[in-house]
Amino acid sequence: MTLKAPPSLAAFVFCGVLALGFVSSAVPADAQEMRAPRGPVEITVGAGAGGTPDVIMRSIAKIMADEKIVDVPIVVQNRTGAGHANAFNFVLGKRGDENTLLTLASPVFTTPIVQGTPSVIDRITPIAGFIQSELVLLVPANSQFKSLKEFVEGAKARPSRVRIAGGASGGNDHLAMALIEQAAGIKMTYIPHESGSAALATFLGGNVEGYFATLSEGLPHMQAGKARAIAILSEKRRTDEGYKNVPTAREEGVDVVYTQFWGVGGPPGMDPAVAAWWADKFRKATESKAWQDSLKEKLQLGSFHALADADAYFKREQDTFRRLLTSVGLAKPQ
Amino acid sequence: MSTIELLTQGFTTVFTFKSLAFIFLGVVIGQIIGALPGIGPSAGMALLLPLTFGLDPATAIMMLAGIMYGGQYGGTLTSVLINVPGEASGVMTAVDGHQMAKAGRAGAALSIAAIGSFLAGVGAVAAVAFITPALSAFALRFNAPEYFLLAVLGITAAASLGGSPVRALMAATLGLMIALVGADPVTGAPRLTFDQPALFEGIDFIPVAIGVFGLAEVLSSLERAHDMKPIRTRLKDMWLTAAEWAESRIAILRGGLIGLIVGIMPGAGASVASMLAYVTERRFSRRPERFGKGAIDGVAAAEAANNASAHGATIPMLALGIPGSASTAVLLAALVLHGVRPGPMLMQQEAVLVWGLIASMFVGNVVLLVINLPLAPLCASLLRVPYVFLAPGILVLSLVGAYAATLDMGTVWMCLVFGVLGWLMIKFDIPRPPLVLALVLAQLLETSIRQSLLLSFGSLSIFVERPIAAFLLVLVAGSILLPVIGALRRRFGGI
Repeated sequence: MTLKAPPSLAAFVFCGVLALGFVSSAVPADAQEMRAPRGPVEITVGAGAGGTPDVIMRSIAKIMADEKIVDVPIVVQNRTGAGHANAFNFVLGKRGDENTLLTLASPVFTTPIVQGTPSVIDRITPIAGFIQSELVLLVPANSQFKSLKEFVEGAKARPSRVRIAGGASGGNDHLAMALIEQAAGIKMTYIPHESGSAALATFLGGNVEGYFATLSEGLPHMQAGKARAIAILSEKRRTDEGYKNVPTAREEGVDVVYTQFWGVGGPPGMDPAVAAWWADKFRKATESKAWQDSLKEKLQLGSFHALADADAYFKREQDTFRRLLTSVGLAKPQ
Repeated sequence: MSTIELLTQGFTTVFTFKSLAFIFLGVVIGQIIGALPGIGPSAGMALLLPLTFGLDPATAIMMLAGIMYGGQYGGTLTSVLINVPGEASGVMTAVDGHQMAKAGRAGAALSIAAIGSFLAGVGAVAAVAFITPALSAFALRFNAPEYFLLAVLGITAAASLGGSPVRALMAATLGLMIALVGADPVTGAPRLTFDQPALFEGIDFIPVAIGVFGLAEVLSSLERAHDMKPIRTRLKDMWLTAAEWAESRIAILRGGLIGLIVGIMPGAGASVASMLAYVTERRFSRRPERFGKGAIDGVAAAEAANNASAHGATIPMLALGIPGSASTAVLLAALVLHGVRPGPMLMQQEAVLVWGLIASMFVGNVVLLVINLPLAPLCASLLRVPYVFLAPGILVLSLVGAYAATLDMGTVWMCLVFGVLGWLMIKFDIPRPPLVLALVLAQLLETSIRQSLLLSFGSLSIFVERPIAAFLLVLVAGSILLPVIGALRRRFGGI
């Protein structure tokens, strides 16, 4: 009446799993010791529910749970306000804590620069940068500008008369615009809004000449015949239907590459073994089919940087942010 | 397929045990979340978002939308009973609703709020079903100049809230001053923040409303604790009288229409809607002097407007992929998380989901009416509890609400400071609603005028060149000039 597997087989399988686990954890190039945190983990997001960083973290937390990559419970908690400062100050205050992660979105980099407070990136424990979004410049479907070249010429002919509706002063679209201004030697007018979608409403209402959109945000409006993409701010063209005919800004003679990115970090002084464990889990989650499908669906990129590599990546981006914010007059000296 | 066929198809999606169960769950959660000050429907939806991951997208969206409009019903409870609006859109309900409660008519106020919300909600869903494409095109014609004039209309209307226009305007000015704190909306430069990171994004509506209304009420009651008697409510006073219903019918119609129109504009929310509905009702009323002293048509108009607005906000969301409110922003995020790409193609590509959602909103509103009608007298009898026992409960509910809104103790301290301010305002007889409304409108006011002037390269002509703006400008001029002319006439006899 007892139906169980012969003990030898079970033990064999068990040992096999152990051995495999041992081998695979010993393999990574970082050759870092890994240790799982105990108890539930909070991923703090400085953006509100529904914002891109929030959606990214909820998606990846869902994959980590669904695919049993992480077995401790993960809660995505929005701590909004003060340009993500409520979120990063919360995490910065939890020195050595193993159960809190901070979502790294551009305000985590830019808010300290704008407010003249100490850098957040220099203090957190870098874990991973794992997702990027390219930007396109949209013009209304009936725009007189058929290409970025014409757009730039139009802006040259009438300085400050070409208007861009954008999400917020110092936001990614503002900085992308600043880069184009510098590269092309033109001046445009940036009109900040309460959110990206408020700016999109201004653009769709035909009130402005241009709008910077992420690929998945822009596509439905292009398909509906309301907007045209005149340039993608990337190294190379996309191959997807809808974007394959959109030239890069460089092809149009404007030497600008600008990509939004998101990542994750731990509090200052997080145990390197726990940071390495998280980096490994984020890598596993981003390698899953569900994540890869979601990247394809949302037309995002998944270049992965972990630990020391992420540190260098974040610092490089922080320097770019500082340079751009200084050029648009928003950086406040410390 | 015709709209009727699509809608029928939507109802077949809804009338399954699973869908109905989740719609019911959504509206009940919405009702509870709405009644708690601090946590609004959008925050509640975000909290419950992960729980929908196991569901199919249509069911998940139906449930989350239920929280969104359920919250509008629930918010009435605290506004009327304890004068603590849980959300910006509840301020106008509290003005007359709480006066009615003090007079023992809380049951009637809650009943008319439920009926008004229901009728306006169903009307607005019908508009969503039948004229979404047309309305979304209309919504895009509203932009910064129009929003600025709407906000001005709101601020001038604030003068009429309270006994004396001068006192009301003083309160409104104070509200505008509070709103100046924080990052400049256009340049991002910190303003009046005294290097406090907590002030960088300005002072939020929630701690101010909870402090100025809820805490101030408790503080001021401490002074007259010895002569406080529980509010007398007899069971037969709980129900709506025929006269009250007659007074409210047209208010619901007008309030619902205003709410729908304001709701579909992506830049203006339920608070602007309920405020405009309230002042419109006051203007049309044959006895405007009752407003602020417990006018049931004021409650009916405000509640009809905020519910119609919550539903109207789904129009730009479905037709354009642009959220019309904080709650619809969470709905959009939920769509994305469930692998649906929002945008102008949504209604074609996801017809089953969209029409299921629309049908579910009809059903959800019926459920909410059925829940709320018997609940009204039940909740109203809460006021029979002596205030000495009620006050600590209000205090705890308010402060927990303030903490829950941001998970930061700073918000609780801010709430206490504004509690003292509100208490001083009661002592000096300065009306409190204009302060809170000005604070809510100030951001729209400032951002939109600066956006307008950026759009027009500094020329004021943008306010007359656009047809809708020009029309609103006439309304603004009228709302300022008419009372002045009226006052002059009274002073100097007929001219």
